[in-house]
Amino acid sequence: MAQKTALIIMNQAPFGNIYYTEGLRAAVGITSGVDENIVTVAYVGDGIYFTLHGVDRKDTGRYIATLQKQKARMVVERESLKERGIKERDIATEFEIIPRKELLTFVQKADFVLDF
Amino acid sequence: MANLYLINKVYGENGLKLARLDANAQIVLIQDGVYIDVRRFVGSKVKVYVVRNDVEKRGLVDRVHEDMELIDYDRLVDLIVQNKVINFA
Repeated sequence: MAQKTALIIMNQAPFGNIYYTEGLRAAVGITSGVDENIVTVAYVGDGIYFTLHGVDRKDTGRYIATLQKQKARMVVERESLKERGIKERDIATEFEIIPRKELLTFVQKADFVLDF
Repeated sequence: MANLYLINKVYGENGLKLARLDANAQIVLIQDGVYIDVRRFVGSKVKVYVVRNDVEKRGLVDRVHEDMELIDYDRLVDLIVQNKVINFA
């Protein structure tokens, strides 16, 4: 086994489903272990609703804290915000806003891509 | 090796927007993804495959654009094995 680069794409809005939390759980799983895999979690489409300031992250806070500790990046696609009329200042500080073009570079660099 | 975007309807548009910027993209429309209008890719370098079984079941065979290629499951498996899968299905 060797270090891998993983991209996890979060497509679905939080609550009423397991995806928003299962994706983060998978991300934490990939960061753990001796290989020290490089993980990025990317929020696109309706998935970006998870990154709003006011979202209840009681059930995911520990995943996020672990990912931050492991230096995993959590990014939000700028165009998805724009398409939904959401201001960048409405996004919680844990998340980094990037343009779609940059997201594509994550896709290109990733050894594998998972979607949730 | 191409980036193979597997596209279903629910959040397939997220994938198509990325694929649009990706010079190395190929697209497979699968399940309800066959309902998505992908004419934006006609005349582009992006190859679009459509899963034949999903099109036939929905009675859409005559509506598939001539630039799109109908594929069976064997070919789909080959594509998945040969390329990097970016799943939106």
